[in-house]
Amino acid sequence: MHFFSMLFLLAAFAASSAHADRASLAQGVCAASLGDRVAALGALAEAGALGDAEEARWALRIVEAVNDRTLRCAASGVFLGEGAAALDAITLLPAVAPADATAPPINNRQRAAAASAAAALALFTEADPALRARAVTALERRREALGLPIIDAALAVETDAAVAESLAALRARLLLSDDDPANRIRAIEAVAQDATLRNRTLIAEALATEADAAVRAAGEAAMARIDSRLAVGRALATLYSGLSYASVLLLAALGLAIIFGLMGVINLAQGEFIMIGAYAAWFVQNAIRAAAPQFIDWYLIVALPVSFLAAAAVGIVMEALVLRRLYDRPLMTLLATWAVSLLLINLVRVTIGTQNLEFHQPFYVTGGIPVLGDFIVTLNRLFAIAVAAAAFLGVVAVLRFTTFGMNVRAVAQNRAMAGAAGIDARRTDRLAIALGSGLAGLAGVALAPLYNVNPNMGAGFIVDSFMVVVLGGVGSLAGAVAASFGIGQINVAIEPLYGAVAAKVVVLLLVIAFIQRRPEGLFAPRGRR
Amino acid sequence: MAGAGLFRVVAVALAALTLALPILGGPLAGTSLGVSPYLANIVGQIATFALLAIALDLVWGFAGVLSLGHGLFFALGGYLIAMHMLKAGYVHQGVVPDLMTFMGWTELPVHWTLFESFPYAALLILLLPGLVAFAYGWMSFRSRVSGVYFAIITQALTYVAMLLTFRNDTGFGGNNGMTGFVSLLGMRMGDPSTAVWLATASLAATLAAFLLCGRLVASPFGRVLVAVRDDEARLRFLGYDPVWPKLAAWTLSGVLAAIAGALYVPQVGIINPRSLSPELSIEIAVWVALGGRGTLSGAVIGATVINVLKFWLTGFAPDLWPFILSGLVLLVVVGLPNGLADLRAPRLARLGRARHDP
Repeated sequence: MHFFSMLFLLAAFAASSAHADRASLAQGVCAASLGDRVAALGALAEAGALGDAEEARWALRIVEAVNDRTLRCAASGVFLGEGAAALDAITLLPAVAPADATAPPINNRQRAAAASAAAALALFTEADPALRARAVTALERRREALGLPIIDAALAVETDAAVAESLAALRARLLLSDDDPANRIRAIEAVAQDATLRNRTLIAEALATEADAAVRAAGEAAMARIDSRLAVGRALATLYSGLSYASVLLLAALGLAIIFGLMGVINLAQGEFIMIGAYAAWFVQNAIRAAAPQFIDWYLIVALPVSFLAAAAVGIVMEALVLRRLYDRPLMTLLATWAVSLLLINLVRVTIGTQNLEFHQPFYVTGGIPVLGDFIVTLNRLFAIAVAAAAFLGVVAVLRFTTFGMNVRAVAQNRAMAGAAGIDARRTDRLAIALGSGLAGLAGVALAPLYNVNPNMGAGFIVDSFMVVVLGGVGSLAGAVAASFGIGQINVAIEPLYGAVAAKVVVLLLVIAFIQRRPEGLFAPRGRR
Repeated sequence: MAGAGLFRVVAVALAALTLALPILGGPLAGTSLGVSPYLANIVGQIATFALLAIALDLVWGFAGVLSLGHGLFFALGGYLIAMHMLKAGYVHQGVVPDLMTFMGWTELPVHWTLFESFPYAALLILLLPGLVAFAYGWMSFRSRVSGVYFAIITQALTYVAMLLTFRNDTGFGGNNGMTGFVSLLGMRMGDPSTAVWLATASLAATLAAFLLCGRLVASPFGRVLVAVRDDEARLRFLGYDPVWPKLAAWTLSGVLAAIAGALYVPQVGIINPRSLSPELSIEIAVWVALGGRGTLSGAVIGATVINVLKFWLTGFAPDLWPFILSGLVLLVVVGLPNGLADLRAPRLARLGRARHDP
């Protein structure tokens, strides 16, 4: 009998006439021995997996029939259903089952195999990725009918990334529990190729029940290798998220530094200019959604100039109405700009509301590029970094190479002398305020895909950006860059260990300690005090 | 000095209120002349704000050191008195503070030892904020951190303190702060007479601070402070060391702010991290700016006017208050550089002091 069942299995592998295969497969589930019947379920799963979609559906049909006991075996064939209402199991055409047709006996082992086979076949028959994902979960527990060829076939046709990923993990587990130790070592090496936490867990799981010393050694070496790469990946990830925070800080602080360097005005409303930038981006999004929904993905790009101009416009209004009367009273500008920030926050709160704004996430800010270990270059952070880098280069270019930039530098160095040389200092001030506020507006766009956007969002950035200005020195661009990166990295490095508050405390204490030595900041030019 | 007459008026008014309140709120309560405990409470709160404004005016108006972090000292005084009241209630009346319940403490931590004693708590209210102010002032003034830098860092300091107290594990009651006080010096919280006595104490403290600071700024020490404000570099050139006068004024100011906090908290019955928000600290500067920097009477008047307005407005239009406040600030800084004092002597302002920003 065993010989026959082997024949059936061989027949299943042969790609000859489909119906001949089906006949032998169907006969298999009617075999007399339990072991053969279980093996036949595996063969059914494999035949369905390797055949076309039609074959998979047929195999699933048979497996289900075995499981719910509607399958009937007789000398004249295999049938689904009883009597005149039956179908021929091979052709699925109506047929009359003979009276002596019996359901093959079934036990738990067979049920498990049937469930496993059904789950394996579901990978090929289900259109819904969620159901396929559930099938993978079922297969994790029931591997009775599962073979490498089935998983490989499923991976080849799988379209959903998440399901494919869990299938790959399943494949690794299957290999890691191979009977041959050499194969297990090979499997460990293959899994360790991709140093992720998930793969490390896979190996650790496999080692937990591993008896073979060579395999254990290989596994432990592989885990150590993964660990070191994970550590590097984590360090890179921390650096990266620090970099993205720093770039938002840099945008806000650049504006502050320009305004402060030029006029000695500290703009306490700079955080609210960030908020205005983010809200302008939201308006741009809504406008595009209403007018040209097909271009909705590009709203962030459109928002860059719009937000810059919106924040710059508010800055110019603030300068014209308030600041220009206060140039010789820097401490009063603190109060005045604070009043402006209070006004802006409450205007937004009353007109738009306090809830977080919903932002569409275009494709260029979703997902990321895996680099090493669990370190993924997420695109939303990359967007912020790119905006900051471009804006910084733009500011450097403007200050270096344009007449306006020359005027700014001249007025910052000596206002009276610049005026004597024919530079309109007041006009320069106004343009510089526009530039500084506009940069904060850009920061608002850059962090729209990253942070919560609401009327109070500015408060979170304002203290850090002041620390950047204090640390970086007045009107020094290089200082602002260095300080924002330092503060961004400290924040991100300490936050996971001791929390966000500890990070702020450390930054503040460092700044206080720092200005004991260098009250003019990191990069301030040497001069008389 | 143009403000001398006004100084006397404010001093007399404060003294009159201090003397009258126990009578109006005590034996006369309930009569047509009487003061309700509610009103007495509001008067008391405003008095502590006036004290806070005097404290800030001493350093900003006279020494030219703007602090945007006086809320730190105010809250420190408030938390210390709250700790005293909670501990005393726990020890004497057996009232378990909410703080212990939600922190899961079976007893109060070590640093609460002795807090049931009022003299000890009062001593700490004077010493601790003084020490904090001294340490920070010494570090800053010694390295000549001043002006906008100094102001920004005081604000950052207060902001960080707020973040710290918001956390439960720092032991200040987190978001809820400290509340549920039973009594203070044997006076039961919630009694009408307690409200009157607390308000009277606040008025008396404000009057004392007012007179003390008045004497101080009129003394040679006060002249040095004004010289620091007007031209620190020249003062240094003349051989004075400006660090110590600044430090003395700054430390005294911190202690006065802490006293204000310690008087304020029993009257409102709660202290939480919101008193450390940058908002309150900047508002203090707004009171002083509105009343007129550099005159102590201006500080008292500014704090009183704005807070009366605030109490009155938040009653029926709380959403309107931020707009009014920001409008007032813009009006004052743009139109009235010396605050309400400009309303009386507009020409003087334009000629002299308006040009100067300490």
